[in-house]
Amino acid sequence: MSLLKIGPLLKDGRLVGEDAFQPVADDAALPASGAVLVTYARWQAEKDQLSGRNAPLGIVLPNTLDVLDFGAEAERFDLIVLNFPKFSDGRAYSQARLLRERFGYRGELRATGHVLQDQLWHMQRSGFDAFEIPREDAAEAFAKAVKSFSNVYQPTGDGRVSALKQRLAAYNTKNGRKEAAE
Amino acid sequence: MAKAPKLNSQPQVVTANHLLSGDVVYLTKAATWSRRIHDAAVVANVDAGAALLAEAEAQAKQNIVVAPYLIPVDASVTPPKPIQYREILRAEGPSTETRPAA
Amino acid sequence: MYQYDEIDQTMVDERVAQFRDQVARRLTGEISEDEFKPLRLQNGLYLQLHAYMLRIAIPYGTLSSRQLRGLAQIGCTYDRAWGHFTTRQNLQYNWIKLEDTADALADLAKIQMHAIQTSGNCIRNTTTDQFAGAAHDEIEDPRVWCEIIRQWSTFHPEFSFLPRKFKIAVTGSPNDRAAVRVHDIGLRMHKNDAGEIGFEVIVGGGLGRTPFIGKTIRDFLPKQDLLSYLEAILRVYNQFGRRDNLYKARIKILVHEIGIETMREKVEAEFAASKDGALKLPQEAIAQIAAQFAPPAFENLSGISADYANAFRTDFEFGLWARRNTFKHKQPGYSIVTISLKKEGAPPGDASAEQMNAVADIADRYSFGEIRVTHEQNLVLAHVKQADLPAVFKALKAYDLATPNIGLASDIIACPGLDYCALANARSIPIAQQIALRFRNWERAHDIGELKIKISGCINACGHHHVGHIGILGVDKAGEEFYQITLGGAADEQAAIGDLIGPSLNTQDAVDAIDTLVETYLRLRKSSDERFLDTYRRVGLAPFKEAVYVSA
Repeated sequence: MSLLKIGPLLKDGRLVGEDAFQPVADDAALPASGAVLVTYARWQAEKDQLSGRNAPLGIVLPNTLDVLDFGAEAERFDLIVLNFPKFSDGRAYSQARLLRERFGYRGELRATGHVLQDQLWHMQRSGFDAFEIPREDAAEAFAKAVKSFSNVYQPTGDGRVSALKQRLAAYNTKNGRKEAAE
Repeated sequence: MAKAPKLNSQPQVVTANHLLSGDVVYLTKAATWSRRIHDAAVVANVDAGAALLAEAEAQAKQNIVVAPYLIPVDASVTPPKPIQYREILRAEGPSTETRPAA
Repeated sequence: MYQYDEIDQTMVDERVAQFRDQVARRLTGEISEDEFKPLRLQNGLYLQLHAYMLRIAIPYGTLSSRQLRGLAQIGCTYDRAWGHFTTRQNLQYNWIKLEDTADALADLAKIQMHAIQTSGNCIRNTTTDQFAGAAHDEIEDPRVWCEIIRQWSTFHPEFSFLPRKFKIAVTGSPNDRAAVRVHDIGLRMHKNDAGEIGFEVIVGGGLGRTPFIGKTIRDFLPKQDLLSYLEAILRVYNQFGRRDNLYKARIKILVHEIGIETMREKVEAEFAASKDGALKLPQEAIAQIAAQFAPPAFENLSGISADYANAFRTDFEFGLWARRNTFKHKQPGYSIVTISLKKEGAPPGDASAEQMNAVADIADRYSFGEIRVTHEQNLVLAHVKQADLPAVFKALKAYDLATPNIGLASDIIACPGLDYCALANARSIPIAQQIALRFRNWERAHDIGELKIKISGCINACGHHHVGHIGILGVDKAGEEFYQITLGGAADEQAAIGDLIGPSLNTQDAVDAIDTLVETYLRLRKSSDERFLDTYRRVGLAPFKEAVYVSA
């Protein structure tokens, strides 16, 4: 898997000028200092060295990885990059939700690969907060895409209240009031 | 979908669907698109077919048509008649349409 | 019936706006056809042989008369004033233009309808028993659960880019009219030993190139856990389903390759970790949805209506229709009416705008303004007073909608086939028409009795040929249309995949072969009570095979 950044980085709805994480190829030496981004394979091989560095650590996970085998280690990382080799390959959505919701990962979760405007809404709802996007001028469109829908039908780790729970709350409030009045 | 036969020097035309309407269209000699196979440019060798297709693909890139391809036709009749029944149906419309309103 | 609230309405309105923007970006070239295709497909828009085709979701096959009139109107405005009802309880327009699609979707949104997730590798429209809420043999109305699933699955952020499409069906009756054993997930409601109602969860059924009958992954799932369990199955499938080969990407192949035991372990582990989370359904939330499916205001009726009994005795045509096209209702004095969209010689499942309007009017007058769509491509009036049956028959007949053939040989399921579909290898409609005409004689057709003939124009099996008592599959043989015949399939609670009888036949021979098969059955059956399928199960393939290939 390539570690090269393919496009501008969008985070919290804004373009980030410079990525703090330096990608390091598997056969390249680790820099003495600074935040680095390594592959899952390198992490597997050099856990001690990488953990010993006194700098933020990022990892790129293949989308074929069963994250149940990795999740316990997630909190060691400041950045986890998940890959969409094609926009139609949606495995990383499940990886993202598991990392956020099952393993409580709170660092940066970045989508890379074939990241398209119309997928951004799904990605954000699944827990991604950073996106390598194809073109800088698309940032505005991307920001708009995230707001495509005012409501959601299903609960995810993004904390938005599902339609079902909204209706239930409205119903309970109404009935509560009614009971109080009686 | 049936595989398209290999086209050599037999008569052939380029067909596609029009992007906006979805209609079946054929590339004409003037490099425009017609809904009638009658207007299609018929060529009869590999190179001319490839050139015709290249023109069509350029127009697909300009968002005029979708997915152009070459089909063999019987050019001894007028209008030229496709060989595969899938293409005959595309050229002539469904062999059966819903009953008219009661 | 379920009515949209402001949340639902805003969702579909925003979806229309989103699609309008996507079309605009496609037309400027900002997105390519390759990028646009999945977006239009997720809005039900296919590019077919002659034109775009728009597939409208009819959630669990339930429509109001207002919605059906709206569909007729949209068909008149943007199409050729007719529509095609499908085996997914959907409606398809065959002559749509891309430039009109956003407007058509906006008109649909006004009648609380949409085309969301009617295509693409996502969770599709959930289907169910067309007699839901009316059938005498029902344990519980499955539409409540279909609606809960509809909401959960709509724009699901995690499951919009699955390895392949995903279909869920629910039955609330032990007599399965929803074909739950041939779906990616089938849910069968039943009571456990403690008397509680829950779901048997069946996974990995499906037709297509490699048909499988689904396997039970869990015998009994409490209702409040339904969404957690579905999400667990989908999550396992999304991660481990095959993505290297289109034909091996359905969940049935995953279940087959890793085995149901391993599948169960994975799903149960996922479920155990999430079952008490945010997806657990509070009792009151279920009740809120269920309230929207409360039975209509039935009258208290007893005994047989004199008008009905009299018409049954004196009007032969009516009697024939009433015997064949009505079904026992749970409410005394009411019947369920199936409206045949299978007049012999007409394309199965098609309805003109005029017919749709007529059905809407009849539903308003006689059936609480509600219409159902069946997976066998007919319509249903779910709650008709028996006393009104003669009037309903007369009204339907005026629009060619009273063919008394439900469940008979001419009540054929057929996909659009090569007349419309870009994927097809052969035509389905003309062969269905020819076969149906062979069974036009009512005496013969009723003597033959129940016989389910199902026709698909390609291996994708939209016409469910694998589960037809007689199944017909169109194939391309050296540039000519040929048909393979299978026997002994069934989609009900005793689901089975049909057996291939032999080499494929050309159109004429295939039509003749159906006749031969039926004659063979009539010769072999023990009594007129023994259905074609029963005879086949008793005697096996050999005599049928011999009859077709020796005579041919």
